[in-house]
Amino acid sequence: MKKNYGPFYVAPVTVWLACFFVIPISIIVYYSFLTKGINGGVIHKLSLDAFRALYNPTIFQITINTFQVAILATVIMVSFAIPASYFMARSRFKNFFLLLVIIPFWTNFLIRIYAWMAILGNNGIFNNILLSTGIINNHIQFLYNTNAVILVTIYTYLPFAILPLYSTIEKFDFSLLEAARDLGATKWKAMASILLPNIRGGITTAVLFTFIPAFGSYAIPQIIGGTNSYMLGNVIARELTVTRNWPLASSISMVLTVFTTLGVLLFMRFNRSATESARGQKQKTVAAGAKA
Amino acid sequence: MKRLLCAAAAALFLVTGFGCGPQKPKLYIYNWTYYIPDEVVKEFGKRYGVKVYYDMYSSNEEMYAKLKSGGAGYDLVFPSGDFVSIMIKEGMLEEIDKSRVPNYGNLDTTVLSKLLFDPGSRYSVPYAMGTAGISIDKRKIADTTRSWRILDNSDYKGRVTLLDDMREVLGAALKTLGYSVNSKDTAQLEKAKQVVMGWKKNIVKFDSEAFGKGFAAGEFWMVHGYAENVFLELDEKAQENVEFFIPDEGGPIYMDNMVILKNARNKDLAYQFINYIHEPEVYARIMDFFQLPSVNVPARKHMTVEPHYQIEDLATSEFKEDLGEHIELYNKIWQEIMVGK
Repeated sequence: MKKNYGPFYVAPVTVWLACFFVIPISIIVYYSFLTKGINGGVIHKLSLDAFRALYNPTIFQITINTFQVAILATVIMVSFAIPASYFMARSRFKNFFLLLVIIPFWTNFLIRIYAWMAILGNNGIFNNILLSTGIINNHIQFLYNTNAVILVTIYTYLPFAILPLYSTIEKFDFSLLEAARDLGATKWKAMASILLPNIRGGITTAVLFTFIPAFGSYAIPQIIGGTNSYMLGNVIARELTVTRNWPLASSISMVLTVFTTLGVLLFMRFNRSATESARGQKQKTVAAGAKA
Repeated sequence: MKRLLCAAAAALFLVTGFGCGPQKPKLYIYNWTYYIPDEVVKEFGKRYGVKVYYDMYSSNEEMYAKLKSGGAGYDLVFPSGDFVSIMIKEGMLEEIDKSRVPNYGNLDTTVLSKLLFDPGSRYSVPYAMGTAGISIDKRKIADTTRSWRILDNSDYKGRVTLLDDMREVLGAALKTLGYSVNSKDTAQLEKAKQVVMGWKKNIVKFDSEAFGKGFAAGEFWMVHGYAENVFLELDEKAQENVEFFIPDEGGPIYMDNMVILKNARNKDLAYQFINYIHEPEVYARIMDFFQLPSVNVPARKHMTVEPHYQIEDLATSEFKEDLGEHIELYNKIWQEIMVGK
């Protein structure tokens, strides 16, 4: 007789997620509907003030900024990651390249951000090279603006785009590309209509893995950003500490979570229907072929 | 399984029951990061046979949140003035019995009379005071303005930082316009906002964490902030090129204070520690280390290092007070500054 061990297998992860995901999120949702304590904390009295406070041009503007940074960074990351992972997967030294992608994780995230300051700072390596070679005669302000935030975001999360794409592309049957070429497709046509649809799952994962952390970014805009690169994460931190408005911090967190979840759901839905329609197309073609 | 648990319990009992010899009394201190030189704390422990547990926080808000959320059994805490008044209102503080702090008499009475967050120091004993000013790299900055208006000079655009702190920055702007740093007047704050928006065009960022390092690295030439954050990053030779000044109009002053929590378990030791800190020799050593002005009158004679500024330099400045409900007004203005172009 075969016993069903399923519940046992999922018990640890269920407990973990309940403790460290469901409960904290529930607290955030709960707090967002409470009244703020004058010195921080919350008063247990229902109120929609925190949501009313969201109707505010500042928060709207910062939400737009956050979307811009996250979307732009994600698009660039994924479009860099696809060719990179393709190259890695086809290379003889794939394990070596994989190691290279992973090596940055051996150093703490914050230290890597500070390293960018040493590279791009006014007195940084890059400015010094440009100055000493006479290409420029005054420093260029690379850091402390939104572009710098996007650059460092891309640097930080690029591995999260490469790794899932690599593992998908590695399983791809490359002879399909040869077949496409044999049948007269150009190199690009073969990539676009054979490779890309087949690695759709990897692309989805890569987009999610990069967009979500980029959207919730806090440390990068805090350290690398300038006077106009605040993101939602920074506003949440401020409301929680400096202004002691915990319900507002919670309601902004909820907005962040809702936007992220909606984005993910829409993206996955769009993706699935695209895959299904592609599959449907193929089946139709096969059926038509069989009839003929 | 049961046997294993019993064994574990027995082991635990052995370790905790017999692990340590005669117990030293313990004092639990919760203070700002690097705010007392280590050896001063060690010496207290040695002199009175006390084991001192020393935890650190980096902002009043962090400290307050931890204590409020049920935290941690501390005896002695070092909140700033505005948080002293909050903690008094919340009934978190033990009233200070001055007869147990004989060295309280060493404190500067002019300073004490200005402490409106706890009039008469009923719940708090001042520890250290200071103010944010402007540090400039003398090799790079030619402007001789010694007012907040130096921040309007666009020649140094991209080399200037302001604190990421609405009280400090709006306080400076309010002072520039001749208003109080504790102003609760919407029209005054609105004008202060315009001043800050002008400064914002010249600065690279609002920063309270890394400006000292950036200044030391030559990245920034003019930074708004606490002198010790800048000077502790520089060696003696590099310090010669730096001038720290408090702008003529004055600005917000902070006072950090020692308070005993109502639920403290070691109140006697806490009193002992407060009194120890205000021994002139001990206090002089602390202020020498941070180069801050001494609020302890006899300690001034024992100081061997010139502080970055004297109490007299703070004549035009004002102590920060808790804004209560009006913090929302500051917050709104600050948010508008954050996204304003």
